[in-house]
Amino acid sequence: MNTCINKIRELALELLDKKEVEKVIGFANGTIPLATSPIAITSKQDIEKLVFNSTCGLNLANYLRDQKGKIAVIAKGCDTRNIVTHIVENQIKRDQLFIIGVPCNGMIDQFKIAALFNDEIIEFSEDGDTLNIKSSLKEEKLYKKDYLRENCKVCMHKNPVIYDVLAMDLVEEQTLDNPYPDVDKIEAMDSDKKWQHFQDLTKNCIRCYACKNACPLCYCPTCFVDESSPQWVGKGQNKTDVNTFHYLRAFHCAGRCTDCGACVQACPMDINVRDFTRKLNKDSFEMFGWEAGLDITKRPPLDAYSPDDPDDFIK
Amino acid sequence: MGNLFEHMGIERDRIHFSWISSAEATKFVDVVKEISDKVRALGPNKKLVKDYN
Amino acid sequence: MADQDIKIVSFLCNWCSYGAADLAGVSRMEYPADIRVIRIPCSGRMSPKFILSAFREGADAVWVSG
Repeated sequence: MNTCINKIRELALELLDKKEVEKVIGFANGTIPLATSPIAITSKQDIEKLVFNSTCGLNLANYLRDQKGKIAVIAKGCDTRNIVTHIVENQIKRDQLFIIGVPCNGMIDQFKIAALFNDEIIEFSEDGDTLNIKSSLKEEKLYKKDYLRENCKVCMHKNPVIYDVLAMDLVEEQTLDNPYPDVDKIEAMDSDKKWQHFQDLTKNCIRCYACKNACPLCYCPTCFVDESSPQWVGKGQNKTDVNTFHYLRAFHCAGRCTDCGACVQACPMDINVRDFTRKLNKDSFEMFGWEAGLDITKRPPLDAYSPDDPDDFIK
Repeated sequence: MGNLFEHMGIERDRIHFSWISSAEATKFVDVVKEISDKVRALGPNKKLVKDYN
Repeated sequence: MADQDIKIVSFLCNWCSYGAADLAGVSRMEYPADIRVIRIPCSGRMSPKFILSAFREGADAVWVSG
């Protein structure tokens, strides 16, 4: 990963130099270690700000809408799938984009790492598969594979599905017999247990909406949570309101979610928001053989009708 | 939607979908009976109800 | 359980099930009085928001019929 940043900077410089794109959207170091934030680069002197490491878990497809000119974007496997979803949903045109594809070996879970330290982490660097993390009390060398995000562990599309140029060689995809072990676990519970599971899951939710802001799928001009006449969901910490928000947010992602994990990464309360969307991903795969964002020419299942659609739920 | 609800712990029989033509009054009656029986078997719903107090 | 009061919020399409309900009424057929009918102009008017909203307001079940 350390080597690809040079290539990314080189490509970005060339694009800006030739004025092929107006800006390059990528990652920059955040204000604290273990966090990167999105950045739009318009001038050559800012190129050095671009970084790419194992903490770039946010989804840059989220920053591509409502753009006029041509833009370049640095995209991991899941980002490209969301770019495809955007193109299919007419949020951006393919010819407006220059996609710098980055095959990805997974991103790390900052919560898992922070849990190892009693004090604040002050320095982070990585070298191949080793993460070097330093706090004021101790220094640790960690193996990256042990601290991957949950969605990266079950990721089967590490390589970009659509790109103009690659920043490094393609990586080997993993094949899994069962990509949905977490869903199976919940499915095996009875109704009350399931209910309790989701009650426990959302009990810390502070309704900050970071999950929906980080999600590239959430781009309605007015979100249903903000609609006031009729008001579908209350504003407070009421349990029912919190649950309603999570249910409907998840349902809006049906057949569109690419399991990029940006929602989980953005959540300040470490709620595994993916528990909601994963079930829908599994269903759309089992019922429609569909995985979101793989093909620019196909309409998503809830958007298309076919006589073969499963209809056994209708009496 | 039904599947999602079930996954979240709301009983499957609390949500029904059907297709009835405007000429099928008998089917309508049958479906109402069937749904009513199923829901009665489940009893009142306590989940996801908003408590305004 | 049988005499329990339950509410089934029913979203019926104007042209299909609502017509069927009307016909059932005109034909003096008997059916359980547990349903509360909401007429929608077409099943396409249906939204998942409605279903959640019904449950939030205390529905015991929701029935969508086209």
